[in-house]
Amino acid sequence: MREIIKKILKKNMGILILMTICIVASVLLSLLPPLALEKVVNTLTSNQRVGLELAFLYFGLTVISNICESAKNSSITIVGQKITHGIRSILGEKLNRLPTDYYIKHGSGKVTSVFVNDADTIDTLFSDGIVGMFADGFKLFGILFIITSKSLGLGIIIFLLMPFIYFLTKHFQMKTLLAQVDNRKAIARVNNHVPETIRNIRMIHVFEKEKYMEDKYDDYILESYKAVNRSNTYDSLYSPIILIIKAIVILIMMTTAAAGEDFQKFFGISVGSAVAITAYVGKIFTPIEAIGMEIQNVQSALAGIKRIEEFLKEEEISKEPEKTKLDYVKKDYENCEIVFDNVTFSYNDDKQILNNFSFSIKKGEKVTLLGRTGAGKSTVFKLLLGLYFPDEGAILVEGKHPGEINFKERRKIFGCVEQDLKEVLGNLREQITLFDEDITDEMIWKALDTVGLRNVVEKLPEGLETKMKAGLFSRGQIQLLSIARAIVTSPSILLLDEITANLDSDTEKQVIDALNNASKGKTVLSISHRLSTFMENEKLIYL
Amino acid sequence: MSEKVFKEVKKPEKISSYFKMELPVLIVVTISGILYNAGIGVGPYYEGQLAGKLYEVFKGYSTFFDVLKLAITYVVVLTFVQGMRAIKRYSVRVFSNDVGRLMRHTLYSCLIRMDKEKLNKEGLGALMTKAIADVDICSEGMRKFTTEVFDTGVAMIVYISMLLFYDFKLTLIAGIFTPFAYFLANRLKKQVVRANRRQKMSATLLNHKTMDRVSNAITYRIFGREEARNEALEEALNDYEKNSIKANIFEGSMTPLYNSLTMAGTVIIIYIGSKNVAGSGFTKWDIASFTTYLAVFTKFAVKVSRAAKLFNAIQKAEVSWGRIKPLMKEIEIKKSLLSQKEIQKVNIEFENVSFGHFDNDNNFKALAKSLSFSVKPGQIVGITGIVASGKSSLGKIFIDESCYEGSIRINGEEFKSLSSQQKHEYVSYMGHEPELMSNSIYENVALGDETDVDKWLDMVCLSEEVFEMSDKKETLVGDGGVKLSGGQQARLALARTLSHSRSVMILDDPFSAVDKLTEKIILNNIRKEFKDRIILLISHRLYHFPEFDHVLFLHDGKGEFSNHKLLMENFNDYKELFDKQVKRKDLDEGDN
Repeated sequence: MREIIKKILKKNMGILILMTICIVASVLLSLLPPLALEKVVNTLTSNQRVGLELAFLYFGLTVISNICESAKNSSITIVGQKITHGIRSILGEKLNRLPTDYYIKHGSGKVTSVFVNDADTIDTLFSDGIVGMFADGFKLFGILFIITSKSLGLGIIIFLLMPFIYFLTKHFQMKTLLAQVDNRKAIARVNNHVPETIRNIRMIHVFEKEKYMEDKYDDYILESYKAVNRSNTYDSLYSPIILIIKAIVILIMMTTAAAGEDFQKFFGISVGSAVAITAYVGKIFTPIEAIGMEIQNVQSALAGIKRIEEFLKEEEISKEPEKTKLDYVKKDYENCEIVFDNVTFSYNDDKQILNNFSFSIKKGEKVTLLGRTGAGKSTVFKLLLGLYFPDEGAILVEGKHPGEINFKERRKIFGCVEQDLKEVLGNLREQITLFDEDITDEMIWKALDTVGLRNVVEKLPEGLETKMKAGLFSRGQIQLLSIARAIVTSPSILLLDEITANLDSDTEKQVIDALNNASKGKTVLSISHRLSTFMENEKLIYL
Repeated sequence: MSEKVFKEVKKPEKISSYFKMELPVLIVVTISGILYNAGIGVGPYYEGQLAGKLYEVFKGYSTFFDVLKLAITYVVVLTFVQGMRAIKRYSVRVFSNDVGRLMRHTLYSCLIRMDKEKLNKEGLGALMTKAIADVDICSEGMRKFTTEVFDTGVAMIVYISMLLFYDFKLTLIAGIFTPFAYFLANRLKKQVVRANRRQKMSATLLNHKTMDRVSNAITYRIFGREEARNEALEEALNDYEKNSIKANIFEGSMTPLYNSLTMAGTVIIIYIGSKNVAGSGFTKWDIASFTTYLAVFTKFAVKVSRAAKLFNAIQKAEVSWGRIKPLMKEIEIKKSLLSQKEIQKVNIEFENVSFGHFDNDNNFKALAKSLSFSVKPGQIVGITGIVASGKSSLGKIFIDESCYEGSIRINGEEFKSLSSQQKHEYVSYMGHEPELMSNSIYENVALGDETDVDKWLDMVCLSEEVFEMSDKKETLVGDGGVKLSGGQQARLALARTLSHSRSVMILDDPFSAVDKLTEKIILNNIRKEFKDRIILLISHRLYHFPEFDHVLFLHDGKGEFSNHKLLMENFNDYKELFDKQVKRKDLDEGDN
């Protein structure tokens, strides 16, 4: 994680340096106006007139310090955004390397939340956290320096107070952080509950489970509510306590200054410096308080960062074990498009799904895998697609190991019709191309022709540009679209995953026709737990 | 607000309703807010007085004890004021927390009562963002608004009064720059709003793209599109970065500039103020007055520059509220009595029924016409038909997703005329989608009711598989049941339907992902358990149709209500459908 941020910062060195300059300048300049004020008051106490030039000096310093402040804020924003952007890009790259298992086991909502919410906390961590702390620490030091140089005694008092304030702040932050972590957890549940409700709305209505769902939801928001209230308590107490301490410091300063000569030597202030120091004492608590808040920001961001770190640490796709890459296999199955040679496989050392399983399919053959639920039909597909690797034995697709097929070749080799069409964010064209710009309109229309959707799409006023939305197509038509997606790149192998499982016979025939059409001249491997339908010239393999 | 029981909001579509509901909290806010802000001048006042006193001590007019007394008073008064501030801060946060919770709750109550069609129209992603993100922004906006009413509104009045009190004329002159700051803030407001809107749009786009990338990750992997999709994500990230920077700069970096404008007044204050002290200005001042006045003016300038921030917070809240508002409706929550209602024996009568849908021009499009038949308790009806004959739509009549003409009577009552409660009392329905929740197997069956989950799992032949799972019945099934296989999902959904079943059970293809042997066992179990219920089994697989009491065969816009034997004799289409499957049957046996 640290390395990643370092890398991102290195890339944005220029703006980072500018930011540092802005911070230093704005801190230094913000310290100056009270000094001008001191001069004004001291001039007044000595019964002299204050000239316009002094008034303009005070104002001028204020303006310049404000401009620096503005530049500082802008540069911090820019750097913060660059960092979040960088982190998100890295998270995106990680997606490519996560094993397929991960996606099956984790809800997409949770992963998205790492991207969206947790990555945002990095910006908070940076802008309102680390950089703020740097700026405020610098300011604190500056003010302390000025106060000490004006009045050694007061400097010492404040210096002694600092550990107390630090521990007080730390205590508050700890409590707040705990509350915030609880809140985030509750919010994550809330976030998951809403889409789940939408998905299951029919069931909820039929069984009148509105109240049940609502109670669950209320429980989650109650958890969040309680956690937020806890953190509110600390939040509302902290700043008033700090300001009361400030008042006490001023009390000490003023009384010791008035206490007689001995004290006055040690605390040594004039009326002018009393006014200036009051202004500084007011200012010194602002950075302390801000540092408190910043530590809090950092800590609450830490929860998010932790999740990002965990996400980045997630196990990545393992390489295909060398022993499954035995060469002898290639010779034995020279004419075969798909080969399973003595494949043994289990998910995470659980029950063995495949045990010395072998079969081979020649080019142009149509094969159906049969077997009861759990017999490992889908596993065969996953192995074939290189989503998992066998524990033992070898798999060959067009003479290659699945792990060797690079992503550009995939669609030339496999066309996979999934059980349900996974709709992507975009228009009709993109449902078919999956955003591959190398796929021409001609290819798309050809695919649509094959599956028999041409007429339907042509009738849409916006044609291929029609935005995909629920209700646009019937269930069967969506399945046809899924077939079009698979065949648009003219792959040599067609994989069909129980595609008629969730169809009623109203639409089944359409789909079967389309498949028969699409599979001409291709090697076809399909999964079915039952055959209610015919494919031409098919061969069966029982699992 | 009490912790567990919700008082529902009346008129949730009005923002004032929430203020009304939170009146007790707001009263606390008001009292502590006024006291705090009225005392806000205490700091600079006493600090000025202390400086003045110190001057007098040096000159010998006052003693150490005068300073001590003044300083102690200062600490005591300030402690009180800050105590008020703590109360105000806390109660304002409670207010916003309450409102957020109420809004979330109300939104959800509305959401859960929308029908499937409407929900699909709203778009899932949009609803999610709406329901969750906007509530936070909105309640946060209400908090800021309430806070600022006191911290800006009341505080400004206090500051201005103090300034005017110290020197009326000087205040008027020094304050001439203030309207410029306001004017500038207002001029830039449009840009701020536009930048914010753009950022929000970018954020939504980025969220959608991320969601798409993650939820379709396996598909993109299978098709080798992962790298390409990451490039698209990168584009969205660039766009988001650009717009966020713009919006943040407008929002965060303008404040110091407004402040500079207002602070121009200090030139006049220092110049004339020093004349005041010297006795040649507008008013006779001492040093205490001078420092107090300058300190108050500085604080005033800060408030003025923050006023623009207040606009932004309110503006953001308004935008969010605008999106939430149409979704909010007053809901009368009725407790469901379904599980306590006795399950009656019922008859169903179809008399000259046509069913189908209304098209966009509101014309009734029938899928099949003139269906007349009746079903008695304990009978099972197999419903099948040729392609596109409307089997599923027939079942959906009973969940109001299809329409009918003619008459359908349940125990003599017209189905249309029943309330939805009565409909649910009679009919339970299971469709193609398993509609599982992400919690445990147990919860998915029981749905919060007390029921013998084991029995239902047994009945659908799922017990053994559940027993092999790591947490048995408590195993979490994942989003929409992803951790289960297709067949397990279907059977779990069936177990749930059976455990909550009513007088009439409509099962639309419940066995499509179950192998044949299992199907047979389950069907036998169901018939044994539910001897006096009516079961309408919609299926394209006819293995068991010979055993059913009736078969309804839909074809060519008509329906034949008969039994298997007669249909085989009289209807070639039906015979063909059946024979085709029997032929395959031999193959399927190899399965087992």
